Amino acid sequence: MTKRLAAAILVLIVSISPAGAQSKAWDILREIVLVPGVSGHEGPVSHVIQDRLPAALKAERDAMNNVWFTIGLGRPHILFVAHSDELGWVVDKITPEGRVRVKPGGGILPQTVEARPVLIHTGRGDVPGIVPPRPDYDERQPPSSVAPETPAAAEGFDIFLGVATEAEARALGVAEGDTVTAKKTLVDFAPGLMATRAVDDRAGCAALLDAALRLKPGTVKGRTVTFAWDVQEETGLFGAAELAKTLKPDYVFAIDTFVSTDSPLESKRFAFLPVGGGAVVRAIDSSNVTPKTEILKVLAIAKKRGIPVQVGNSRGGNDGSVFLAGGAVDIPLSWPGSYAHSLIEKIDRRDLEALTDLILALIVDWK
Amino acid sequence: MAVRLARTMGWIAAAVSVVVAGAGAADIKTLTKELLPVPSTTGNEEMLAAKIRGLLPKGAEVEEAGLGTIAVRLKGSAGPTLILAALDGYGHMVSGITPEGYLTLDRPVAPPHARFDAFLLGQPVIISTAKGPVQGVVSQPAMHLLTQERRRTLVEGFSLESAFVDIGVRSANEARAKGIDLLDPVTYPGVLTELAGDQWAGPGLGLKAVAAGLLSVAQALASRGGGESAVVAWAAQTKFSARGRGARPSIGAAQVKAHWQPGRTVVVDIIAAGKGDGAPVPGRGPVLVQSRDEPSALRQALESAAAAAGASLQRLTAPDSPLSLPFASPPSEVITLALPVRFLNTPSEVVSLKDLQALRDILERFLEPGGTK
Repeated sequence: MTKRLAAAILVLIVSISPAGAQSKAWDILREIVLVPGVSGHEGPVSHVIQDRLPAALKAERDAMNNVWFTIGLGRPHILFVAHSDELGWVVDKITPEGRVRVKPGGGILPQTVEARPVLIHTGRGDVPGIVPPRPDYDERQPPSSVAPETPAAAEGFDIFLGVATEAEARALGVAEGDTVTAKKTLVDFAPGLMATRAVDDRAGCAALLDAALRLKPGTVKGRTVTFAWDVQEETGLFGAAELAKTLKPDYVFAIDTFVSTDSPLESKRFAFLPVGGGAVVRAIDSSNVTPKTEILKVLAIAKKRGIPVQVGNSRGGNDGSVFLAGGAVDIPLSWPGSYAHSLIEKIDRRDLEALTDLILALIVDWK
Repeated sequence: MAVRLARTMGWIAAAVSVVVAGAGAADIKTLTKELLPVPSTTGNEEMLAAKIRGLLPKGAEVEEAGLGTIAVRLKGSAGPTLILAALDGYGHMVSGITPEGYLTLDRPVAPPHARFDAFLLGQPVIISTAKGPVQGVVSQPAMHLLTQERRRTLVEGFSLESAFVDIGVRSANEARAKGIDLLDPVTYPGVLTELAGDQWAGPGLGLKAVAAGLLSVAQALASRGGGESAVVAWAAQTKFSARGRGARPSIGAAQVKAHWQPGRTVVVDIIAAGKGDGAPVPGRGPVLVQSRDEPSALRQALESAAAAAGASLQRLTAPDSPLSLPFASPPSEVITLALPVRFLNTPSEVVSLKDLQALRDILERFLEPGGTK
């Protein structure tokens, strides 16, 4: 009985503690991760994000579907940016046999969608299809030598819709230029621990949205703060480049995945930040080297607020690097994410909420 | 053993609740949807067997043979006949737990093709434990950290040696606390994808569709009485073949033969389709498969049943499958009626609902009194 009482008290304490107590980031993530938004086609997800923002924040949206708002006045100008696009494909053509051919690219190991369902996002709604397995998939023996890239690689791949002619495929609403995403499954390991496609960077979007919803405008004094959800990061940071034409921040906090090696198949030589260990400061990645002085400032603020933060170096770029040439300092923030750029990107709720708390703390305390 | 017993009891209880829910005849689509998410791999067929039992009409005479096979005896049928389908599909099972809490995998039987294990990479899976289903993913390296060479060889060289299932825990003890145990089946989530042209796709869909077809026929005919009887059986361990030289019959099918000693058998199976070069074509009806293209009373009866049902049939001459081999010795007669399946033995088997309905209707006609004449 005593143990049960202690456990109940502990749950109560955790539930009312400041860190993440008011956060809705997790629920936001679970909602927006399912909204399609392949790079260059972010309209649906940008709409959802803009729609969730309070009207008082006067969010803007440009022709590319970048969404942002700015509050406060003066220096420093701090920019928080997350990208709303996700990995996926674009329909290239429809064959006479009714197969849908997608353009090369995608950013996902193409073999992981072989013999898997995908969704084609057409003007008339989603059309499901299956990526056929390679023609010789059912041979009893493996090829005698390691085969070159599979049919589902450099040349793009086909999608089977269940039809036999081009006309039937078009009658479903499928057309060239439609986007394609893997059919997403939310894998719930436990409450607050999940894996799915497009956590990169919908988790960043969710953290920013949650912070925006929890933000008290009165806390922004003597500084300018911009929140941005930009587009086309996965294909070349194009949305950020567009924003950089008009936004000239002093500091950029790019919110994106920390590619963690917290998995059984990867070397722990670097990037081993455990999932569940807290938010992350990306010290070094493929696009930026964060000054140590700035890392220490972030850690000090986090410590003051009791927010768990880890520091690591990994690979991959971030949108903040686009603003370097304009004079900004880029300090990428993250959560530790296993299995980046896969169908099973893993995330822990505690990390996401710590990240949101860190964003809010930086708005107040950053100097 | 205790865990196995607990799991079996749990599923039997679930099946009983289904019986109470209603045992009226359901359409083939509904039945297929009911069976699709139920895991059933060789040696772990008890959940599907319990589900089928639960969906059989009240009062149906359910019989059992060794290894987990179940059957229902239909009276008032066209004659003493065995209708046999598989209860088990290809799949994986837990073979170990690492100190970090990752699960290692093995297969109960040899894979159907060389790429079977490679489909696991980076996919969600379900581990069916005594405590219920546990969700997991098969680990995959982050794309950012793969060299071009590693990326090129990752899938081609992927095997069970590099398959680790992440269930979101940090130790073997935590994994066990979730109910994970050795031999627990590991399968893909039974998610259905409804395609155009009345075609469905899903993992293990061919097996479940055929099982549903037999179930639907059993539901329709179970209430009849008198006359001769037919046995409709769902056999366990059909993917496990006898050891030794020469032909290697399915162990599960061999046990069925030993138990019921049928004079004639219709094996209801699945067959690769849509591959061109004379292979069966999806949507053109079930496939009659014989080892020799010669007339037989059984073939004639099935052709008559197809005609009466208004269903098309495709025909194929092929060696006896492990499932039909035990019944192939004279004087007993055997023929295979197969459901064409596109992308067979992949995580997205595609089935034409038209073919499935035809298969079901042919079997019903065949089993009706006079159906074999």
